[in-house]
Amino acid sequence: MSKAEILEALRQHPFTHDMDEAWKESLAEIARLQTYVPDTLLLREGRAADAFFLIVDGLVAIEMFVPERGSLRLQTASAGEIVGWSWALPPYRWEFDARALVETTAVVLDAAQLRARMSQDCALAAWILSRLLTVVAGRLKATRLQLLDLYAPPPERRPA
Amino acid sequence: MVSLGSRTLTPGQAWRMEKTRLQELLDALRRQGYTVIGPRIRDGAIIYDEIQRLTDLPIGWTDEQEKGYYRLKRREDETFFGFAVGPHSWKQFLHPPIFSLGQARRNGQGFEWTPSTDPPPRYAFLGVRACELHAIAILDRVFMGGPYVDPVYRARREAIFLIAVQCTVAGGTCFCASMGTGPKAPPGADLVLTELPDVFIVEIGTERGAALLAEIPCTPATEADRSVVEARLEETARSMGRQLDATDLPALLYRNLEHPRWEEVAQRCLTCGNCTMVCPTCFCFTVEDVSDLAGAQAERVRRWDSCFTTAFTYTAGRPIRQSAKARYRQWLTHKLASWWDQFGTSGCVGCGRCITWCPVGIDLTEEVHAIRQTDSALTSERR
Amino acid sequence: MISQATSSPVPNLFLPSPFQVTGVRRETSDTITLRLRPLDGEVFSFQPGQFNMLYLFGIGEVPISISGVHPRTHDLEHTVRAVGYVTRALARLRRGDVVGVRGPFGHGWPLEEVRGHSILILAGGIGLAPLRPALQYLLAHRPNYEQIVLLYGARTPADLLYQPELERWRGRLDLQVFVTVDRGDELWRGHIGVVTTLLPLVERFLDMRRAVVLMCGPEVMLRVAVRELEDRGVPAEQIFLSLERNMKCAVGFCGHCQFGPAFICRDGPVFPLPRVRSLLEIREL
Repeated sequence: MSKAEILEALRQHPFTHDMDEAWKESLAEIARLQTYVPDTLLLREGRAADAFFLIVDGLVAIEMFVPERGSLRLQTASAGEIVGWSWALPPYRWEFDARALVETTAVVLDAAQLRARMSQDCALAAWILSRLLTVVAGRLKATRLQLLDLYAPPPERRPA
Repeated sequence: MVSLGSRTLTPGQAWRMEKTRLQELLDALRRQGYTVIGPRIRDGAIIYDEIQRLTDLPIGWTDEQEKGYYRLKRREDETFFGFAVGPHSWKQFLHPPIFSLGQARRNGQGFEWTPSTDPPPRYAFLGVRACELHAIAILDRVFMGGPYVDPVYRARREAIFLIAVQCTVAGGTCFCASMGTGPKAPPGADLVLTELPDVFIVEIGTERGAALLAEIPCTPATEADRSVVEARLEETARSMGRQLDATDLPALLYRNLEHPRWEEVAQRCLTCGNCTMVCPTCFCFTVEDVSDLAGAQAERVRRWDSCFTTAFTYTAGRPIRQSAKARYRQWLTHKLASWWDQFGTSGCVGCGRCITWCPVGIDLTEEVHAIRQTDSALTSERR
Repeated sequence: MISQATSSPVPNLFLPSPFQVTGVRRETSDTITLRLRPLDGEVFSFQPGQFNMLYLFGIGEVPISISGVHPRTHDLEHTVRAVGYVTRALARLRRGDVVGVRGPFGHGWPLEEVRGHSILILAGGIGLAPLRPALQYLLAHRPNYEQIVLLYGARTPADLLYQPELERWRGRLDLQVFVTVDRGDELWRGHIGVVTTLLPLVERFLDMRRAVVLMCGPEVMLRVAVRELEDRGVPAEQIFLSLERNMKCAVGFCGHCQFGPAFICRDGPVFPLPRVRSLLEIREL
C-alpha cells in the first residue's frame, strides 16, 4: 500500500478525480487503502466519525440495527461513490452502520486531519463540502423516491 | 350531367325550386330507398329524426339561443329553415351512440364471434348546415383518414345523401364565421338549398344531386338570384351571436396550460359532459364486454363516452385527470389545439351547441378570450 | 339505380381472435407470464415494444405489452400483473385455456435504427416486460450494437421478474446487468436504491453521449431518469420511453389513450423523448 497507489486511486475516483493535484497529494498523506472482507463494518452507529470513505471497488450497505428485526439495509453505495459525511458535521458521530456486502476496497481518509486541513485551507473546504453536498442531495433525492414506493400495487379500483 | 327533356343538369348549376316541391324531393328520395332525416320539433327543441311530409318540418319556427338557454319561438312567417342548430347533430347517424360489434359464443375451441352484419341504414340528411358539413368532413378524417379505417363509420358514411341548407339566420351562440366554417356551405353536399322568401335556390353539388333534382320541375336560377343568395349569406355572417379570435389558437392554448383561468372554469363546470354529447365532432367512445348470466354468450358493444368522466383516464387504479380543471382543459385544448396536430383542422366548427346546452352557461368563446387577454406570453413573469 | 350500401361485417379490428394458453409461469406473488399460441396456427409477428389487447370471454379486455417470444416454439409471451378485475382473471388462467388477442398495436422500440450505438435499457418494475423482447432482439443481433447494459429496479427481491433469465443474462460476457431493489430482504446482497442510483456505475464505462436509452417504468421514474440522463450528456433524441394510458379500442378512435395530441395506442407506446418531454411536465394531462 504505497503512497503512489493511493494517489492513483484518488485520481481515478469520481469524487476526487478533477481535484487539484496538490490537494490530491495532500490527501494522499492522510489516507490509506483498506480492503474489507464481506460482512465487516466500515463504520458503526454511535462511534466517532473519524474517517471518510471513497469506495474504489465493491458494494457497501447503509444499515440500521433494529431490535427483533436485526440489521436492516436501507441503501447501497458502490464503486465510485463515497460513504459517510457525518465526519464533516459536529458532533462527528456516525448515525448508521455501513457494511461491506462483498469484498470492498476503499480509500480511507483520516477525518480529524482532513478537518484540520479544511479549516486551514478555505478553498479546499469549499471544494470538498460542495462535492459532499451534491452527494448528500443525490442520496436524499433517491431516498425520497424510495419512499414513494413506486412499484407498489395500485389501489383497489371501485367498480365503475 | 343529367338530361331530362330539354334540361341538362350538372354540378355547379343553380336552380329555382318552388318551396312546396320540397315534398317531391322527399318523395323521390324515399322512392330510392332513403330514410330522410331532417329537423322536427320534439320536447321543445328542434331535433333530427325521420321526416316524410313537409309538415313534419318546423316551418315557421325559430330558436332563441344563449349560453345555457334554448327556447323555440314562433316566427311571423312560414320560413322552412328559419332556425339554427339544436341539441342533435348528424354524428348520431354516422357514429352510432350504441352499437353492437358482435356476439361471441363459447365453443369447444374457446369462442367464436359472429360479427354484426346488419346492413347500415341508407339515410338522406335534409337541412345540413355549413358548420355541420364541416363537422362531417372532420369526422371523416377522424374515422377514415388515419392508419386504420373504422368500418362502422365508413359503412354508414358511404350511403348518405346530403342536402345542405345555407343559413339565412344566425343563431345566438353561432360563430361559424369566426371558424371559417360558414354560413356558406363547403363542397361535399349533393344539393345546397338557400331559402329565399318565395323559393329555394338549389345549387347542384354532385352528379347524384343532379340526378335527384332532375326529377323535380325547376327553372334555372338567375344572376340576380345568385346575388341575393350571396347577400343573404353575408348578412348572416355579419350577425353571428358570437365571435372567436382563432388566431394562433393552438399555440395560445399550449403555452397557457397552467393558466389560472382553468381553475376558474372548473369552479363552474359540472363535468356533466353535455358539451361532448351535443358537439358534432366529439367522437370518443368506449368498448364494453357483457355476457349473459349463464356465461355462454358474450357481446361487445361500443358506446359514446366523454372525456369528462373520471373513469375515462383510469390507469393503474386511479384516474390521471382527476380534477374538473384537468378534464375541462383536456376537452377544450383537444377541440381547439391538439385536434390540429391530430387531424390538420380545428375540432370546432362554431355551431355554438356547447354554449347553449351547458347547464351553467360556460361559453368557450369567453374562455378563449379570457386566456388571450392574460396570455402568459404577454406577462414578463414566466410561470 | 343507386346501389345498395354494402353490408360488410365488422372485421377483426374490434373482435379478438382465440389463442390458447400453452404455458403459465409464475414470476412473483402477483405477476405471471402467459405463453400463447393462435388457434388458427398463423404465425404471429410483432415488433418489440408493441402490445396486444387481451380478452377474457364476457369479462373484458386490457392492453398488455408483448413481453417476449419463446425461442423454440415462437409462442407469444405476455407478463400480467394482477391489479384489477380483468388482470386478476388473466392471472388465474391455466394451460389449455383460451384467451382472446387483438393486435399487435403501436410503435415499438427503434431497434433497427439504432444499430451501431451502445444501448442502455432502464427498466422499473413491470416496465421490464416491454423491454424484454427488445433485449431478446438485441442479443440475437449482438454484433450490430456496441455495449448493451440493463439497469433493472424492482420493489423487493421477491418482485424481480424473469429471475432465471436474469441469472443467464448476468452470466453473459456481452451484456452488463445491474439489478437494484427499493427494499432488500435478509438474503439480498445486491444494490438497494432506486434504479437511477445505478447510473453513476454505468457512466464509468459507457460513453453517455453515444448511448441510446430505452426506458419503461412508473412515470415518476421516467421523469427523474430523463433529467439524470440528460445531466450525464445523453442527447434527448437518443432517449426512448414507453408510456401507458387507459385504452379501449387500441386503434386510435375511441380517444381514451390521448396524451396531449398523441394517441398512445397508435403514436406510441414508444416515443422519442423530444416528442413527449413537455407533455410529461404537465400535471394531470
